[in-house]
Amino acid sequence: MIQINEAEQEPGVTLDRVHFGFVTTELLGGISWELNQGQSAAILGASGAGKSTLLLVAAGLIAPRSGAVLHGAHPLERLSPSERVRRGLRIGFVFQDGGLFTNMDTFSNVSLPLYYHQDALGLSEQAIQERTREVLDLAQIEERHFQALPAHLSFGDRKRLGIARALAIRPNYFFFDDPDIGLDQRTANVTHQILSQLKADPAVTLLVATSRTKLIVRLEIPGFELAEGKLAPAPERSQAPSGWSIPPRLIIP
Amino acid sequence: MSRETHPPSLLEQLGARTLHVVDVAQSLIGTLWWALRSSRAPGVGAQAVVRDLSARQIFFTSFQALPMISAAAAFIGATLTAQTELLGGAFQRETAGKILVAVVLREVAPLVTAIIVAGRSGTAIATELGMMRVNSEVLGLASLGIDPPRFLIWPRLVATTVSVPILTIYFSAMAILSGNVTAFLIDSHGLEEWRVGAMLALSPLDLPLVLIKTVGLGLLVGWLCCYYGLDVGSSPTEVPQKASRAVVASLFACIAYNALITVLFYWLFGAAVT
Repeated sequence: MIQINEAEQEPGVTLDRVHFGFVTTELLGGISWELNQGQSAAILGASGAGKSTLLLVAAGLIAPRSGAVLHGAHPLERLSPSERVRRGLRIGFVFQDGGLFTNMDTFSNVSLPLYYHQDALGLSEQAIQERTREVLDLAQIEERHFQALPAHLSFGDRKRLGIARALAIRPNYFFFDDPDIGLDQRTANVTHQILSQLKADPAVTLLVATSRTKLIVRLEIPGFELAEGKLAPAPERSQAPSGWSIPPRLIIP
Repeated sequence: MSRETHPPSLLEQLGARTLHVVDVAQSLIGTLWWALRSSRAPGVGAQAVVRDLSARQIFFTSFQALPMISAAAAFIGATLTAQTELLGGAFQRETAGKILVAVVLREVAPLVTAIIVAGRSGTAIATELGMMRVNSEVLGLASLGIDPPRFLIWPRLVATTVSVPILTIYFSAMAILSGNVTAFLIDSHGLEEWRVGAMLALSPLDLPLVLIKTVGLGLLVGWLCCYYGLDVGSSPTEVPQKASRAVVASLFACIAYNALITVLFYWLFGAAVT
């Protein structure tokens, strides 16, 4: 089993002999891998290598054909999505294509999980409204877009809305699928800054899938290469480009 | 070296078909089971969200269908009355009233209502859920700790199961009213006889019969349409295919279920009703 960081730390995300594939292709060929709690890593690989699939499996959103996925000590296959939240496993997942609720406005996209888990998270009506505004502000979604449907937002706004939604329940497991894809400068900044803060947060286990090594160099996180269904440590990369820093105003609530 | 492939034998085809049917049956039962199970999961916030969704689905499925149900009921009530009147001397007016009530309340109203709900709301359910699958919205719900069966299937099942009985009663009332008006327009003198016949046709057993039929029909429509909607993979081209299959399967299931309940009912309680 590939394990990163110190052995004495608690397990965060564990993949145990995970197989997954479609009719003719096997994308994940018996992967055993562990990411410790509070640590960060990136899955690298060519387009079509199965990075997104691995991320979905690791987040417990799709079940592997065989093998087990654990968050902490909890095997995910035995827990429904809401049971996971009740057990303190709060997942944030930013989808490559958004995965936003198309028939709900921007504000509702973010506030829905807060209302749904209102009692588990101990939130009042006012706290829900405040937190929704807080994460929308963090993702730099302008207030005039709060009542707009995702279809009426620009690509960058949609991407940032996806990030805001994933941050709403204060996740302790954060998965980000292809953060580099087709971003404008503003969205790229927000994305990288949020990822940097999540990486620095010891309560958050962060897993990113990307085809670009520039991101992991900037974030200074270990990379793992997915190729032919196997995961292996990626070769060392060069240092982060100079002049790249995090603006101070962004603080994840 | 090329490998020679043979077309599958009849036995292999039969085996594959059987496996497919077993797989579909398993998935269908799984859809209903997960919806029922998840509806009992704890969470006050979740209950409030799902209750709100269910209310909106009921509004869409029943209230917004009223104009269509009214028109269909009026036409069917008028047509049946006109037909029985056309038979002339073969029927007394009292008999014409009896026929209208028996046929409309016990058979036509539940089935036509279920067909309208399947055509209108069933298509919407299957298409919406299919598009949600394609757009990764279902995965999005799960990623936020929201149980898709509870959030997506349960409110729609509740809506169709509640709406079909309500709409059936409304349909019957409108069809009988329309029949009454038609009978009056044809011959105002025999209207009292027609009304007596209509009242005589009613039996106390009609209530459980209509309830069993309509609750079952509503459940079938919601269940099948949710199943086919969520059976969409990742391609948008699958959405209209699955929506069409959902409606066809719902219609067939409704017709078969309606016939089964009618036969069972008259086998068990036929003497009491007649």
